[in-house]
Amino acid sequence: MSDLIDIKVTVNGTLYERSVEPRMLLSDFIRFELGLGGTHVGCEHGVCGTCTILFDGKPQRSCITFAVQADGHTIETVESLGTPDKMSVLQQAFQEKHGAQCGFCTPGILMTMTAFLKDNPHPTEEEIREGIDGNLCRCTGYQNIIEAVKLAADNMASKS
Amino acid sequence: MEIHGEYTFNGPRPVVWSVLRDVNILATAIPGETTLKPISDTEYEGSIKLKIGPVSGVFAGKLTVADEVVPESCTLIIEGKGGAGFAKGTGYIKLTEQPENKTLMQYTGELGIGGKLASVGQRMIDSVAKSMIKGGLEKLEKEVAQRL
Amino acid sequence: MEKKYLGQRVKRNEDPRILTGRGKYMADITYHNMLHAAFLRSDYPHAKLNSVDVSAALEIPGVIAVYTAADLGDYWHPGPVLVPAPHSIPGITANSRTQIPIVKDMIHHQGEVIAMVVAENRYIAEDALASIMVDSDPLDAVENVEAALLPGSPLVHEELGTNIATYVRQERGNFAECKTKADFVIHQKFIMDRGSAGAMENRGFCANWDEDAQQLTIHCNTQSPSGLRNSMAAWFGIPEQRVRVVVPLVGGGFGPKVMTNQPEEVLCTFASIKLQRPVKWLEDRAENFIGTTAERVQVHDCEIAFNKDGKVLGVRDSFLYDTGAFNPYTATIPLNTQTHTTGMYDIPVFLTEFTSVFTNKMICSPVRGAGRTYGVFVMERMLDMVARKLKMDPTKVRELNLVPADAKFPLETGIIAQDFAQFVLDSGNYPAVLKKAKEMIGYDDFKQNQQPKFRAEGRKVGIGVVLFTENTGVGPYEGTKITVGNSGKVFASSIYGTQGQGHFTVFAQIVADQIGCKVEDVIIETGDTDKFAWGTGTFASRGATVLGNAYHHTATMVRAKILATASRLFNVPESELELGDGMVKVADMPEKFIKLGDLATKANPMRGTIKPGTEPGLEATGFYAPPYGATAYGAAAAIMEIDPLSFNIKFHKFIFVDDCGTVINPMILDGQLHGGIQMGVGNAYFEKLVYDENAQLLNGSLMDYLIPRATDMPTKIEIGHLNTPSPLNPLGIKGVGESGTIPIPPLYCQAIEDAFDLPELLITDVPLSPSIVYSLVEAAKVK
Repeated sequence: MSDLIDIKVTVNGTLYERSVEPRMLLSDFIRFELGLGGTHVGCEHGVCGTCTILFDGKPQRSCITFAVQADGHTIETVESLGTPDKMSVLQQAFQEKHGAQCGFCTPGILMTMTAFLKDNPHPTEEEIREGIDGNLCRCTGYQNIIEAVKLAADNMASKS
Repeated sequence: MEIHGEYTFNGPRPVVWSVLRDVNILATAIPGETTLKPISDTEYEGSIKLKIGPVSGVFAGKLTVADEVVPESCTLIIEGKGGAGFAKGTGYIKLTEQPENKTLMQYTGELGIGGKLASVGQRMIDSVAKSMIKGGLEKLEKEVAQRL
Repeated sequence: MEKKYLGQRVKRNEDPRILTGRGKYMADITYHNMLHAAFLRSDYPHAKLNSVDVSAALEIPGVIAVYTAADLGDYWHPGPVLVPAPHSIPGITANSRTQIPIVKDMIHHQGEVIAMVVAENRYIAEDALASIMVDSDPLDAVENVEAALLPGSPLVHEELGTNIATYVRQERGNFAECKTKADFVIHQKFIMDRGSAGAMENRGFCANWDEDAQQLTIHCNTQSPSGLRNSMAAWFGIPEQRVRVVVPLVGGGFGPKVMTNQPEEVLCTFASIKLQRPVKWLEDRAENFIGTTAERVQVHDCEIAFNKDGKVLGVRDSFLYDTGAFNPYTATIPLNTQTHTTGMYDIPVFLTEFTSVFTNKMICSPVRGAGRTYGVFVMERMLDMVARKLKMDPTKVRELNLVPADAKFPLETGIIAQDFAQFVLDSGNYPAVLKKAKEMIGYDDFKQNQQPKFRAEGRKVGIGVVLFTENTGVGPYEGTKITVGNSGKVFASSIYGTQGQGHFTVFAQIVADQIGCKVEDVIIETGDTDKFAWGTGTFASRGATVLGNAYHHTATMVRAKILATASRLFNVPESELELGDGMVKVADMPEKFIKLGDLATKANPMRGTIKPGTEPGLEATGFYAPPYGATAYGAAAAIMEIDPLSFNIKFHKFIFVDDCGTVINPMILDGQLHGGIQMGVGNAYFEKLVYDENAQLLNGSLMDYLIPRATDMPTKIEIGHLNTPSPLNPLGIKGVGESGTIPIPPLYCQAIEDAFDLPELLITDVPLSPSIVYSLVEAAKVK
């Protein structure tokens, strides 16, 4: 077993100081070390996008990132978006449009789209479809997800 | 997968042959950490540490030289097995004298791969095999030059 | 009584938890002294196992135990047959070979478990895997179903002397005779290759043996909690009442998670009992490809006998089915194929026979569609060949052969189904679904006006319309218990597994309608055998039908208790009571009302006396068993354009018509269809598990096994509904879970052929891909 490395990572606004093995995956760090189970793991190959989190604001696969690479960086996970009593605009739109079925891929899509909508506040359906192209879903066929993101974009636009 | 190709060495055939049949040279010609120990004149045992894309591991294996026609041709049979999968291959090597003290080596063979290597590394096996062969031949070429 | 929620688009009760990442899945199950398992799996598809040396693995710090077959002692034995052979069919052959928990001396497929490591964490467990030395002698493996039947083929199970697993022949009428009477007979071979269910969440299992309490607690993302409980109880000699299975949220089922007695389940339970600590295993994706069941090849040899007016007289379908190395599910999938071939077509003569074949690959079990897809594929393709031969429109050929709307249902088919009873069509208006599909896709306008223009421009735009049936809602039964709690919340439990189909909402709708409360006040509980254990599992699109009716029935019983209790309480006849909005009111007496929660408290007195025979509380347990499965049906149609350079497909229009009887929640229904269609698109165009001739899996990762992405799907799926309530159950419901998947492969074939309009282009094998379509088109051009 190799020596542990000290890291300081800010996750959802809280600074965590931990000692981890160099080979510990960021997804395992978030889920087991920090107990934030909302980030799911579907493939560990970086393909399905289920494990997507925001790394300094940009979507990134946590399953092919090492925890030590997050030292000094800022991570946001699905837990930062909202709570069951107070969901974000995007989450509410997902409920409205039935954008989630089993919910396993959902956190990855929500994080990807949270960043996407910041850069694209008025996306077309085609742009949204391309925006989620890096996230696999086996339950929804994607159509309701796209409608949910469009609704969220419209709602956020009308609020501002 | 099928492997075939040819390569021209800058050296006479007996020298090329002696390099090919020198197990210590062979071991250095294969990239990754390789150890090969002879158990007889024609059989060698050892291990090779390989990396193909995301899959890497140590393979324990055996190399057998068969149907030798000194210094013209032989058949190499390789079998390796490790945590990342297994490989079994047969290669036929032919050396032909060329003018100006050169030797043409022609090789044809088949390599069967299984396990994780095959399931996950498919798209890389071809190119990795090609680069391994290329690297190996270059090392052999250097050795031939040293012996001249 | 007004049904307030049935048929309404109600938002999901479960969404706030799921959307905020608060839901607990298998990966979140944790105990403080839990250990982690990893499995060493065979690389060789067929080999003799000589020895396994685990000594180096045991030296690694953090490794607690390493097990091989020898360690299991009497617990080592092949698993039980999960679904027996259909012995009600005469003249069948059935060789049964079931999964073994861990290899003893013979390896049957790549991925079979050779050793199990239990360690403090998964990282250490995987380190240990790499140090285990396996000595095995590889044997020739058999990959191809046709080759497996040739003399001299390697045998998966040597002692059988054959690779034949099951042979079943069923016939109505006499095909040999009908052939002689037909104007034409077309003979064609079809191949359908399939692949992995590809749920986003892989499998997982955690066993916790409590030595003091002599209790086994299992967490598993299974589709069959009661089946799993019973099988682990039986395997380890523990009373069922001392085994508890708890199912967290499940990230997609689609079939493979219904399997029980799987190696990892047996081994984790064994390890927990031995070590007296919880032992957990989470499957990773690479394992899933070689260690979880999938669905694979069917090779069909078909004949269709028809007359020049387009009427089909008879069909013969002889097919091979690849069951993999074992067949615990015996004949379910090919039986589904047999019952879904002639489907909604009025074809008097039908001969169907299959040979299920062993190969050295991971075993097959039902995956969304579960065999129905193949029957529909060959039938729809053959009808298209009839149309081509007679130069008739493909939809016209279908129209001519459909069971008419005024047919005398129920219609017997003479073919035995997967539940071993005769397959019967319960109800349906098939001509209406074809008509609606054509209207929705704009068939006539496309054919007459648009396509000629496209063709003049040289664009390859084609249209396809295909029909299908889906048998759903099979028994044996499901059960539920409903309790009105003192809080006013209604707790409704069953053991029926849920994997994202909106069960927490659709069943709440049914219950709320009877109980007279708000839909969000119904708490649907499932997946805990301690709460309710009577039931069989989530498969074959049976939830809405069987469980829905069970909930309905039980809810009517609770409703009766509510009214009886309130009647006694207010001293008025039941006819003067009104039930709604979570309370009982006396009509015309606004001051006399009681909230359901308070009524529940009143119904459970802690002192005093009650009339003998009264049951306390507002609670009931009820069951529902269907006489046989209800058949849903529908159509899929699409206008597709094939790009001349990339051969990628762009959809101009995509529609789906479904008739699943009474609809509980149209939003959930559409979601099920969208998801099913995505899998159908994969089956048609992207997904194929590729093996080499030595049964080595070549594309065992999501990089190379292509699950459709958002841009691979039609940009708009339009859904139309018909509603022919099933006469088989009080709510008139039929299932829909697999419908979206079933008709898509033949739809692609028909539309692509129509796009290229080459007389020699006939697509008979799926899945396709851009390069396959290109090769077929080029070959057709030179014929």
